[in-house]
Amino acid sequence: MSTVRLASLTKHYGATVAVHEFDLDVADGEFVTLLGPSGCGKTTTLRMIAGLVDPTGGRVWFDDQDVTFLPPRARNIGFVFQTPALFPHLSVASNVGFGLSVKGSKKPAIAERVETMLAMVGLTGYGARMPAQLSGGQQQRVALARVLATDPRVLLFDEPLSALDRNLRDSLKYAIRDLQRRTAKTAIYVTHDQSEAFAISDRIVVMNAGRVEQIGSQTDIYLRPRTGFVAEFIGANNALPGTVSGLEAGIPATDDAPGEHRFVVTIGELAVHCRSSQPVAVGDAVVAYLRPEDLVVLDDDAADYPNVVVGEIERVIFEGPTAQLRVRVAGRELRVDVGGSRRLSLSEGRGRVRLGFDAPTVIPADMAAPPPSPDEVAA
Amino acid sequence: MTSTTRSIAPLRPGPIPALRAGISAGRLRTFGLLLPAILLVLLFLYYPLVFIVQMSFTQGSSFLSPTGAITTVANYTLIASRYLPNLLVTLQLALLATIVDLVFGFPFAYILVRKVHYRTAVRALMVFPMFGALYIAFGMRFILLPGGPATPILQALGIASTDALFSLPSVVFAMSIFTFPFMVLNIGTALGNVDPTLEEAAACLGARPWQTFRRILVPLTRAGTVAGALTVFGWSIGTFAEPLLLGSANEQRALAWTVYQRGVVQTDYGLSTAMGVVLLGVAFVVTYLSLRYSRGALVE
Amino acid sequence: MTTADPTAGVARRPVVSGRRLTDAVSHAYIWTILVLFILPFVALLGFSLTSRPGGSGPVANYRYVVDTFGDNLLWSLKISGLTLLINVLVSLPAGYAIVRHTFPGKRTLFSALTLPLYVPGAVIGISLVLTYNFTYHLTTSMWGLVLAMALGTFPLMLTPIVVALKDLPVIFEEAAACLGATRWQTYRRIVLPLIGPGLSAGLLLCFIIVFNEYLVTLFVHPPGLTTAPLRVFNQIRTAGLDPATAALAVTMQLISLAAVLLFFRLFGTRHLKGTYLL
Repeated sequence: MSTVRLASLTKHYGATVAVHEFDLDVADGEFVTLLGPSGCGKTTTLRMIAGLVDPTGGRVWFDDQDVTFLPPRARNIGFVFQTPALFPHLSVASNVGFGLSVKGSKKPAIAERVETMLAMVGLTGYGARMPAQLSGGQQQRVALARVLATDPRVLLFDEPLSALDRNLRDSLKYAIRDLQRRTAKTAIYVTHDQSEAFAISDRIVVMNAGRVEQIGSQTDIYLRPRTGFVAEFIGANNALPGTVSGLEAGIPATDDAPGEHRFVVTIGELAVHCRSSQPVAVGDAVVAYLRPEDLVVLDDDAADYPNVVVGEIERVIFEGPTAQLRVRVAGRELRVDVGGSRRLSLSEGRGRVRLGFDAPTVIPADMAAPPPSPDEVAA
Repeated sequence: MTSTTRSIAPLRPGPIPALRAGISAGRLRTFGLLLPAILLVLLFLYYPLVFIVQMSFTQGSSFLSPTGAITTVANYTLIASRYLPNLLVTLQLALLATIVDLVFGFPFAYILVRKVHYRTAVRALMVFPMFGALYIAFGMRFILLPGGPATPILQALGIASTDALFSLPSVVFAMSIFTFPFMVLNIGTALGNVDPTLEEAAACLGARPWQTFRRILVPLTRAGTVAGALTVFGWSIGTFAEPLLLGSANEQRALAWTVYQRGVVQTDYGLSTAMGVVLLGVAFVVTYLSLRYSRGALVE
Repeated sequence: MTTADPTAGVARRPVVSGRRLTDAVSHAYIWTILVLFILPFVALLGFSLTSRPGGSGPVANYRYVVDTFGDNLLWSLKISGLTLLINVLVSLPAGYAIVRHTFPGKRTLFSALTLPLYVPGAVIGISLVLTYNFTYHLTTSMWGLVLAMALGTFPLMLTPIVVALKDLPVIFEEAAACLGATRWQTYRRIVLPLIGPGLSAGLLLCFIIVFNEYLVTLFVHPPGLTTAPLRVFNQIRTAGLDPATAALAVTMQLISLAAVLLFFRLFGTRHLKGTYLL
């Protein structure tokens, strides 16, 4: 119901920078997730959007209204906390109706709205109960009903599922997404859980140490990470530092995004065909990232891939649907994920293996995380 | 590194980022909330205390005289000489009461915390002393009256009842009953923070109960015990019901009562305020030490 | 020559186990001391039921209490009530500021505010009576007494409130703010109900102390206004020990006990943490 714009939003605590010049445009009705490890500033950002924390610099806009210094109660938002924060001395119905009653709505109107809200979250008939009588998942659903009751223009979620059991998390996250779609409200969601972010977001903002690393869709972030942090934080990845040794117009792969070009990178004694949408020059230090599922075990004479290397299998870990291989290639240990029937044949531990892969994306060394030592393995 | 659309020039800027104004509004509100408390304490504690310190350096009731007050240190020298026994008696009574509370209170607190399960009943009964030293003194006076209920027992023990009634022991006894719950509370809290498995560990290592007490419990509960002892001492120096009702002429010289006598009855303001200041000084020294030991504030 | 004795090496159970003995002694110890606590009360109760010279039996004593000492009792109740009111009005905002606001010198301020507890009663008494006489001219109004009582006991109201507020997660107030409540609405509808027990603990404590207070009262009471405990004190010193005086003392203690039991009934015993009552 409202667009949200953040302009250079900043928060300092003394000498510590919690959030550094955060820019973001959220479209009306969009579901944007702030994703990152603990302490990356995502919750601080959310609280600044809510007005629970005053920013040190920058602005927050809802539509064309500058709300930067408005108190939370004047922003017409819905904030769902990590714990349900239901008022323990009020019944479920009084909790849900709280936002309306403080604005002076009349009792019958409140009661009706409470009924509608409880129905929306699947808790019809629970109005008379006290919060202590509900389970964690039910409490969180009441919290949802409570914020929706006031018809806010922006919904803000601060890791609402992290205190719940795994199975509950799954069902509740889709419930949140459904409610958001149905009510067509703009939502900003904070979590450290990738699968959660990937499951329900329109766009994802990856954050680290107070800064934005990348903003994009799930596929953008997964397939085309722009920084080393994103490459390693999202999913598992093998990091291979090397130097650009030659530019080329090489074998096109089918998933090239427009503007990507190809070049050769020397990694140890290997010459690897890589790609990137950023310009590179010969001699640049770069890090190539290879996802474990993109490394394919080849039969001895297959050569369908632009890159083929040979390595020594050091360990095989059978995981059920997949098997994880640790393969030593050019002095580095790589993780390779193998599925299907190959995982069974390999679990007897073959000595040498041929691996093929498409041109990996590459990130300039100064934007990559410090490369793991040759003995470290991708997460 | 970001792939957002760069924001266009901001539309209609909102209120000036008067973060400073925000802060001062907050500070004003804080001050307003604290004001009644500050006023109460300033007007009814700190100013009066300053007032009596001033007055303690004047002579008698010369404060009121039209010719102005006569400044003197005589009050204090008088206290150090003629009224020294009063001061000493006060300190002595308080000290004895504190020791009694410590000796009997520690086991009481220990048993309460470690062994007893009917706490509510105990708590209900422990409130009685707190209703006031007055009733304790009154009740005891009645009990110890010659011809009263305790006389047969005392005679059996070979004590004349007049000896028992107006004497130091009965005053100390009454005082320690009144302050006993406070001591137990402080020690009990400290004991509650000591992990019982420590005592079990000591026992397994061969320590006898006294050794466990001396080498484990005492050091670990020192803060709470000292806090309790100092609180009790501080409260005890300011009392006069017990000395008055149960004490002989010696105990009735307790400083608190002398303050009343000299100050309100005989209007010797200079002297009585000087005594008050002395009492205050003792109390402050005691309080200072107590707060240092008890990790004082509940405030972060 | 050595036929093994089948019972050798098997420890004999002592007749009285060491542990059970210590337990018995412990309980005896506790109960002895508890009995000592209520002994004065019981003695006074007994005394109050004996006849006064010239009176006619136990009931007459208590009737006497109502007739003659009734005024004093009423004054005690009135003064206590007013003191509680002032304490609440002063402590609630101060407690909130101390816990939820940030400002420099908080610890010092809190110590400065709780200082009255550590000043001996006689010192408060003499300083106030002289100040009332010569500066504030407050000697004839009951407010002098009320404010003296408030000053002495307000730390005992402040502390439970501070403890209760600290235990209240900020998240409730944040949630209320995000839902649109003003500061006052949040305070009235969320904070106050949830610190109710702590607040009541403070009320109980202050009531008990003020209701039974005689020492500072002796110094600062306006002429003609004698509270019940002060009356007891004066009676003993002038008229000696009298069953009617004992009856008054017993009545005071019974009322105080009733207040304590009521509190325990309503709130349990948890909320007195940090105060000087258990």
